[in-house]
Amino acid sequence: MTDLSRPTHDGRRARGYVMVFLALAAITAIELVMTQIGLSASAATALFLILSLGKATLVVMFFMHLRQDSRIYTAIFLLPVILVLAFSTLMLMSAGGH
Amino acid sequence: MTSHSIAHSDEFRAGRELSLDHRKLGMWLFLASEVMFFGGLIGTYLHYKATLPTPEAALLDTVLVGLNTFVLITSSLMVVLGLDAIQRGHRRGLITFLGLTALLGAIFLGGQVYEFISLAGHGVTLQSSVFGSSFYTLTGFHGLHVLIGVVWALVTLVKAARGTYSAQEHAGVEAFGLYWHFVDVVWIVLFTIIYLI
Repeated sequence: MTDLSRPTHDGRRARGYVMVFLALAAITAIELVMTQIGLSASAATALFLILSLGKATLVVMFFMHLRQDSRIYTAIFLLPVILVLAFSTLMLMSAGGH
Repeated sequence: MTSHSIAHSDEFRAGRELSLDHRKLGMWLFLASEVMFFGGLIGTYLHYKATLPTPEAALLDTVLVGLNTFVLITSSLMVVLGLDAIQRGHRRGLITFLGLTALLGAIFLGGQVYEFISLAGHGVTLQSSVFGSSFYTLTGFHGLHVLIGVVWALVTLVKAARGTYSAQEHAGVEAFGLYWHFVDVVWIVLFTIIYLI
């Protein structure tokens, strides 16, 4: 895929951004279609979480340029994400105990 | 780069030794704190969603909010295209894309206000139930972030019109872009946990 961080003097980088946008729009459309069809709750939840993770990853990697930027930025961003995931999991586990 | 900004960056030796732009480093640290802020709200919402009945959730208009999600994703595209434009020295392109970003952000906020009014009409308010409290707190704080982003986009647009940014100096545009994309990522998560699952 086109390197989206290095300056280019043609439209390659912009085309790369548009491709990422089209992927995000397509995933959102798939999510909306999935809400209209009868999926089991557990399957739907798993699929929605996977699609959401995919969308968030696309934005962070390509639009926020973490794919090419310093790994220090990645570490700064990922550490709280991991803590929040752990916190949310614990909250759900405590909810399951009620 | 101006002599002022060179002198300014000299004050941030740690950032220089890491070969990092201190403004960008500062923005990522701020976004990390924002992850914790929204993480607390999201964890609380999930806890209540798992433990309490939420019949009000049936009132949520997933298709309308899905379209609003599409609007926010489109605005993120406008921001990166604006950054791409100024990196290529196209100031007018940056101004155009920032204007479209602010417009799409305002449309998103309009959709959110419409949703809030519609829910309030059905009796779902901040005080009506735990669902109402956690829903309005979570989406309301996100909406506030979008509002701040719209104002920031307009300020960046005015600075672009005054010639502040160029192909060589556009850190301000990049910092705004990081904030706006983060707000987009938060919405992607909220859309899933509030409206889809």
